This record gives sequence, C-alpha cells and structure tokens, in this order.
Amino acid sequence: MKYPLTLMVNDELYELEVPANWTLLDVIRDELGLTGSKQGCGGGECGACTVLLDGEPVNACLVLALQAAGRSVLTIEGLSKGGKIHPIQEAFIAQGAIQCGFCTPGMVLSVKALLDRNPKPKDLEIREALAGNFCRCTGYQKIVEAVLSLANR
Amino acid sequence: MEEYSVIGRRLPQIDARERAAGVADFVSDIKLPGMLQGRILRSPYPHARILRIDTSKARRLPGVKAVVTAEDTPKIPFGPRSDDWMILAVDKVRFIGDEVAAVAAVDEDTAEEALSLIQVEYEELPAVFDPIEAMQPGAPLIHDKERNIVAEFKLIKGDVDRAFGESDVVHSDRYYTSQVYQAYLEPMACVAQFDPTGKLTLYVATQIPSMTRIPYAKALGLSLEKVRVVVPYYGGAFGAKMETNLHLVAAILSRKTGRPVRLVNHRMEDFMAGNPRVPMYIDLKIGAKKDGTLMGKEVKVIGAAGGRAVYSMVIVATACYRPDSLYHFRNLRTEGLTVYTNTVPTSCFRGFGNAQMTFAVESSLDMIAEAIGLDPAELRIKNGLKTGEVSIHGWKIGSSGLEECVRKATAASGWKEKRVQRRFARGIGLACCNHVSGNRAFAREFDGGAGIVRIGREGKVLVYHGESDMGQGQRTVFAQIVAEELGISLDQVEVAQVDTDVSPFGMGSFATRGTVFGGNGVKAAAADAKRQVLEIAAQMLEANPADLEAKGGKIYVKGSPEKSIPFQKVAENSLYKRGGAPIVGTGFWVPDTVIPDPVSKYGNISPAYPFACQIAEVEVDTETGQVHLLNYVAAHDVGRAINPQTTEGQIQGGVAQGVGWALMENMITERGRILNPNFRDYIIPGPLDLPPIKPILVEPIEPNGPFGAKGIGEPALNPAPAALANAIYNAIGVRITELPITPEKILKGLKEKK
Repeated sequence: MKYPLTLMVNDELYELEVPANWTLLDVIRDELGLTGSKQGCGGGECGACTVLLDGEPVNACLVLALQAAGRSVLTIEGLSKGGKIHPIQEAFIAQGAIQCGFCTPGMVLSVKALLDRNPKPKDLEIREALAGNFCRCTGYQKIVEAVLSLANR
Repeated sequence: MEEYSVIGRRLPQIDARERAAGVADFVSDIKLPGMLQGRILRSPYPHARILRIDTSKARRLPGVKAVVTAEDTPKIPFGPRSDDWMILAVDKVRFIGDEVAAVAAVDEDTAEEALSLIQVEYEELPAVFDPIEAMQPGAPLIHDKERNIVAEFKLIKGDVDRAFGESDVVHSDRYYTSQVYQAYLEPMACVAQFDPTGKLTLYVATQIPSMTRIPYAKALGLSLEKVRVVVPYYGGAFGAKMETNLHLVAAILSRKTGRPVRLVNHRMEDFMAGNPRVPMYIDLKIGAKKDGTLMGKEVKVIGAAGGRAVYSMVIVATACYRPDSLYHFRNLRTEGLTVYTNTVPTSCFRGFGNAQMTFAVESSLDMIAEAIGLDPAELRIKNGLKTGEVSIHGWKIGSSGLEECVRKATAASGWKEKRVQRRFARGIGLACCNHVSGNRAFAREFDGGAGIVRIGREGKVLVYHGESDMGQGQRTVFAQIVAEELGISLDQVEVAQVDTDVSPFGMGSFATRGTVFGGNGVKAAAADAKRQVLEIAAQMLEANPADLEAKGGKIYVKGSPEKSIPFQKVAENSLYKRGGAPIVGTGFWVPDTVIPDPVSKYGNISPAYPFACQIAEVEVDTETGQVHLLNYVAAHDVGRAINPQTTEGQIQGGVAQGVGWALMENMITERGRILNPNFRDYIIPGPLDLPPIKPILVEPIEPNGPFGAKGIGEPALNPAPAALANAIYNAIGVRITELPITPEKILKGLKEKK
C-alpha cells in the first residue's frame, strides 16, 4: 500500500507515492537518487544521514517519509548553488576536515544548522552541535577548526 | 635542503570537493541497471551442525530472484592464509553471524522478508569462546583438525633467564587487550556483476584490490583474470576491509541471477561478521639494570582467531616480536598462540598486533622506570634504536626519529612540571612505538610497488596505482609525488580509481605501506614518463635531453630558462608524432626486504620504520572513576611529510581511535553473542570525548622513502592506550592492565590501594 506524499527537497517540489514504512532517507536515496545522504547505521546513531527538515537537523533514517509531508528538506546536494559549493564545504576542504568523507554531508548540514542560529560559535559549542555526528577518520579536530575558521571571518 | 614546489605543502585532498558536495559515489551508492538487492542469512548459533535448509518458501516469494546455499557454491575451501573458509557454511556454523544462505530480490524489503522464510534446522554443538579454554585438551573442536591452535610462534634469542638474574629489577604482568571494532562509517558493501562472458566485476571497498583476487578466484573456481576488482570511493577501513565473504556471496547471487547484485551489511551484521581486532592475553616480563639498560624480555601471547582464520596468526606474530626493534631488549623468549574460538573472526585493525603489544610493553616500562627511579622518557631514549642501527631481528633502521619524538613531545606537553604535580588527581603519561612501512613477513608473494603515468594531449596526467585510498589521502600524496617529479602543478594531475583491468598489481593499503610503496612506484613511473618528455622536448628544442629540466609546467635548458617549451606542447607534439600514442610511463620499486627466517625470525622486513612518542594528560574523578582527557601531544617520525595537513589528520584520527579503544570501546560478548552491536551501545568517541590533539611532525628524511617519507597510518594509534594508562597511573597510582580502562576498574583500583 502506497500513500501520496508531497514534499520540498532542495527547493524542488516532489509529488510521490511511498509505502508507509519508508523513511525519509529511503525516499531521498532510493526514490530521488540523492545519495549524498549516507546510511551508516539505520538507527539514528551515527548522523551520516543528517538532513535539515525545515531548517532543523534530523537523522533522515529516523523520520518516516510521510512525517515529512508538506515540509521542506535540505540535503547536501541542495547546498551547492549554481555549481558552487557552500562556504562551509569550502572550509572543510581547506582545513583538511574531510578524510573518507562518508560523514561529511551530514556533518556539514549540522554545521549549517549551528551557524544559522549562532554565527560565531566557540569550540565547545561546535563540539556540542556535532555530538550527533560520528567521524571515525579525523578525530574531529580539523572539523572543529573548519567551523572556527568560518566563525572567525 | 632541496626546495620542492608540491612536496611538503599543506594541500587539500584532491578529491575533497566531490566528497564535500555529496556527489562522490561510495560503494553503497552504486546503482547498476537491473541491480538486485542481496541479504545474507546468518547463523544464530555459535557452533552448530546444519541438518537441513529449506528454501522453497523463500523462493516462492514474489520479487525473489535467487536463494542460495552452499550447494550453489563451488565448495572449494579457501582463505587469505589458511584454507578454512567457505563462501556459505558447509555442514557447520562456527560463530553467530556465519554466512548460511543468501537471497537476491528486487528490493531490500523483499530480500529481508525472504530471509525469514528460509528454514534451517540446526543441531547445536558445544562451543568455546575463550582462547585459553579453546586450546585445552578436550575443548570442542571448531574445525576438522586435531586441535584449535591455528598457529604457534616461537622465538628465543640469548639467555633470558640469565638476563633476568643479572637484572636489578624484573617486572611482570598479565595484560588483556580487548576486542574492538573498526567502526568505519560506511559498512562493508559490494556490487557484484557477472558479465555474459563469465567475467566477474566486483565494485568493492577493499584495501587489497589485486591481492584479494587470489583467494576469490580460487573460491569461485575462476582464473585470476576473470575477476576484476574496481575500488570506488569508500567510507574508511582501518584494517577491516580485506577479504570478506560478503563479496563472494554477492558474486554467487549475481552468477545465479545473471544480474548485478548489491550487498551492504547492516551495521549489526558488520559487528557480527566484520573483522574486529584480535583480542590478546599477554604475559610480559621485562628485566632492567639500575641504570635503565634493558636486559631481557619474555612474553607469551594468546590471541583469539574466531571461527575461521583471517590474518590473526600474522597479527599475533607481530605482537610477539615487533617492539624488539623499538628497544634493545638484548635477550628474548617469546611464544605466541593463535586459537580458534566460536566468535567472530578477528583480523587487522590499525596497529596489527603491535598496537596490542605496545600497550603491554609501554605500561611495563613505566613500572620499571618507577622502580629504578628514572624518568620514563629517558628510559625510552636510552634503549631506543637509533639511525643506522640494525635490530636484534635484522631490521635496518635507515632513520630513527625516536629520540627527537620523545624530546619534542615532552617539551610541548610540559612533561617535567606536570609529572610531579600533586594538587589534583591529574597525571601525564607517555608511550612510544615503532612500526613498519610495509611488512615482508606479511606480504610473502613479493614486495614492491608500481605505477603507471599517462599524459594526455593537453598535458593532463593520469596516474594509476594499485593500492587503495580509504580516505587517508593516498591519491593526493601520489598526485603530489607525480606533480613534483614532472615539474607540473597539482591540478594537472588526476589519480585514477583502482581497476584491476588497468591498474598495476599493487599489494594494497595495509602495514602503513601506501606512501612508501605506492609512492615510490608512481615516482618511478613519473620518472619514466619524464624521461620520454625530455627526449621529445629535446628534439623540439634541438637540445640534449640531459641538459633539460622540467619545472613550473615547462621544459627548459638548464641555466637558460628563456629557452623553454610548455609541458602540454610536448605532450601534444608527442601524441601527434606517434599516431596518437600518449606518453605512458611505467615504473616500479622493489626494496631489499627479506622474508624472515622461519626459525630465527631474522630479516629486514620493511624499507622504513616510523617511530612515535605520544603524551596524554588526564584528570581522574576519584568519586566516579571517570577519566577526562585534558591534552594530547603526538610526535611522529614520518620521514618527511609529503602533505603535513593530511599527515596531521592521520595522527589526530589515529589518536582518537586509540583513545576510544583505551577508554570507551569494547565488544561485549556473552556465549559468543555480541551484546552491543550498534553505535548506541558500542560507543566510539564523539566530538565531546576528545581533547585538542597536537601533532608534531619529526622529519629525519628516510633514505628509502619517496622524497624521504615513511608511513603514518598505524603508529598514529599504537601508543595511545599505554599513554593513557600511564597518565592514569601518574594521576592516581592505579595500574590498569586490561582494556578498556573503565570507571569500574579505576574505582576498584582506588579501593584496593586504600
């Protein structure tokens, strides 16, 4: 049984039909083909699937697709505008904050949510805002430095 | 010192933009036309006989395209080291998570439902989980062998009993290093596709793209050239992503259905059937003179292999003898046993046995330093191997930055003052390590590295290598090396993803070997391409090739830079003159390493040996037993940092993993069942769990390394658990010898001390 679902993803309106048990991540990855949102655990633990739902970071693997009806979703693909990536992404690249990059899309979106509400976060505030995003490669330091480089501009 | 234009610069990874933008396709993102989803049915029992498998119901489920069991496989025993693997279980299962059957269906939900319809009748068998119990006579036998011992390692040098007799202090302890999970963010994944000619293409996350084809071809009954491995972007590995049945099950499903099949481990499966760290019991005894001279070391290691052997026996061997080339112990008696258990098969995890033994050795050395009243830092320097020395096992130390690491780390951390402060329950601890850059004792078929460099019409350079970039920045380092060699800018160089149809037969990324072996390989290839470029340029400039230099994207006559020609013009000219043939440089590099003697273990196994000293500063809450990390300094001898930024990233990431192992992580098992197979209950360090980690790069310039570089991957982790244990001891006088160092153990230790 499929249900109608209307939602905005990266400023584009989608009208879909999805099964009730599908998560927002299933829709984003499998239906829309936006594979920048990663599935690392399927249980809301690692944060690799973080997207912004009406501006708030959520684990897309924990949100049922139908719960997102009528709402606006920003995925990592929506952060690039006119072929240009976002300054947060530029900062991650410049500071060496990306190794394997599997956590990066979710991490970048969590940073965006942080900077949208607090443009000048301090070290601890950054670490708190990213507490739901695991990275196994970097030890977080260069990620924190990337965010600080934006806060200090 | 020579001036380089690309080497030694802090540069972003060349593929960071695709990763940042979310457009890099990782293995689990790949979608091929007609692709099916696979799922694996895994054993719920640690040890059981399979009496019957009924797949009829599952087959009838709409959307199911294939259900396979061992009957659909060639049933050829295979394995990376010992032929004790089967693609799907034959007659018996040996751990919870063992692969029993598999399904390919139109989507994941259908595949999952089909799994629940497969009926398997088991007869449970007595099981054994601890390696010490498993090696006793009468223990349940896990394989059709006389005993559960997979391998033994024995080594005697000098007279250790006499050495202990002549020592002023002899310290002995039993250590236990826990089983931990690599916890890369992308679970193991694979897309397998058999084409109509019977050739298999595997899109896989693997550290060993070429070597993995050897056991895979055997298991599938194919010739090596019928197995093509392509390595797309993948989300970390840390040792775990070598051979895995996941890849072969996908291949079997693809062969059966004639369609591409994707298999991605659920996180829980990845815990149950990945390749976690080999847990070890370590009995260690070290003797020393009053002046700090080490006299002898006796060690017995017992490691659990799990239900089948991956690389555990080599890992135990490494634990047994690697630190003997960090310090002069002078007399040795060593025994190592690797034992089957009814648990998840264990294997490589950053550090490869040396990490386990470093915890033991560096903890014991601190106790010895205390007993003789010597600064632990001085004890390390006094006994550490120096540049030009040959170790007791014949390891030629081409360069050693050990002393400089210790001096710089102690200076940067305020060691002297903090070591003696007693105001708070604060402490500071130090640990060192050595490692290899490539390991001939592991890679026995051959040793070396190779590359191919192809120059396009517009002067763009495409580099092919056979190693594996799991995120550590290997492609970037190779690009830097080739750009430097050819005298062009970094943005003119691309590094192809590994495809065994075109890439060199590289050994892969393990043993901290990528930079030295792959780097020397692509450097040789670039030199070959450069020779051709200079020959063609010489004709164009009417000069002698020997008089030419390539720099700044130009070829010019040495001493008269005005007589020059752009690199890209040479590329174009050569292509046109030779019927469209691009300049292709090929090259290889073979070090003078040897397979160690089977009895004496003597032989130089690596071209370059990195060293490190890490210092942790902690505060212990004596009420709760919580350890707070205050500061962390990690000084590493990296030979030369090709890219200081990515090198620092390796160090910080390695320290983070070491901290996780020491303080937080542990695969808790009960009768072979992992009780915490998820990130809710198996907690890896998050951003709030780590202090600032200060990397210090020590660069003695290694004669065998490309531009003087050594490896960094594994030593970044090795010293961390001991540095923390030593800091905690300095803080509260409690010595923890079993990992992880939990608040419970600290409180127990504090209580016993009173």
